[in-house]
Amino acid sequence: MQNRLALVVTTPPNSNLTTTAINLVKAALDSGVSIIGVFFYQDGVLNAAKYLSIPSDEFQTLAQWQQLNSEYNVPLYLCITAAEKRGLSDELNNHESSNIDSAFTVSGLGELVELTSNAERVVQL
Amino acid sequence: MSENKSRDKTIAIINTHAPFSNAAGKEALDAALIFGSYEQATSLFFLGDGVFQVIGDQNASAIDIKDYLKTFSALEFYDIENIYVCQQSLTERNLSAHFHINNIQVLSNEVFSQRLHQHNVIYRF
Repeated sequence: MQNRLALVVTTPPNSNLTTTAINLVKAALDSGVSIIGVFFYQDGVLNAAKYLSIPSDEFQTLAQWQQLNSEYNVPLYLCITAAEKRGLSDELNNHESSNIDSAFTVSGLGELVELTSNAERVVQL
Repeated sequence: MSENKSRDKTIAIINTHAPFSNAAGKEALDAALIFGSYEQATSLFFLGDGVFQVIGDQNASAIDIKDYLKTFSALEFYDIENIYVCQQSLTERNLSAHFHINNIQVLSNEVFSQRLHQHNVIYRF
C-alpha cells in the first residue's frame, strides 16, 4: 500500500515555507511516498509566475518546481481564481498569451477537493 | 486517480485573519463553499483575529474593498452548518456575540479543540 500525499502551498516563492515545501516533496519522493499533487493557493500562486526573476544567489524556486514536474512527474495545480487576482493569467490579450509557467496545470478549487479526497495525508504550508 | 476514494472525510477550515487585511478570509470562504458543493462534510472555525470575520455591521466599502462577508449567507445552501467561534478570542478583543450570520456556536477552548480534532483534514487561513 503506497502512501499518497497532497501538498497545499500558500506562500510566495521568496518565502522560506515554500523552500520547506520543496524539500518536503523531495524527502517524500526519496522515501517512496507518492505525491498525488501540489496545489497552489493564496499567495502560493505566485510560484507559477513565468517572468519572475530572482537574483542568482537566492534559492531558485521556479527551477525547483519545474524539475519536480519534469523529472518526477509531480503534478502542479494552480488555482486560476487566486492567480488572476494576483495578475497571473493564461488568457492575456497582449503578444504573450500567458504569464503562467508551463510546468503548472491551470485548475480550480475543485482540484483541491479531489486531492483532499484522494490523499491519505494532506500538508498545508 | 485511485478508485478507493474515501468520500467520508471531514474538513475543518480555520480562519485566523481579520476580514479585510488580506485575502485569506475570502479565499477560505471560497474553499469552504467548493468543498460544500462537492458534498464534503465541512466545518468553519474562527480563532484569534479570525473572529472579526463574523462580527456584524461591517462596512467594507468604506475602505474600498470588495465586501465578501455577505457571501457567508451562501453557507447554508451548501449544508455547512457547523460554524464555531472561540469564546476566548472574542473576550480578548472585547467583542460581543453580535454576528452577521446565524448558526454560530461560541465555544470554550476545550470544546473548540475537541470539535477541531473530530476532523480528518485541517486547512488554516
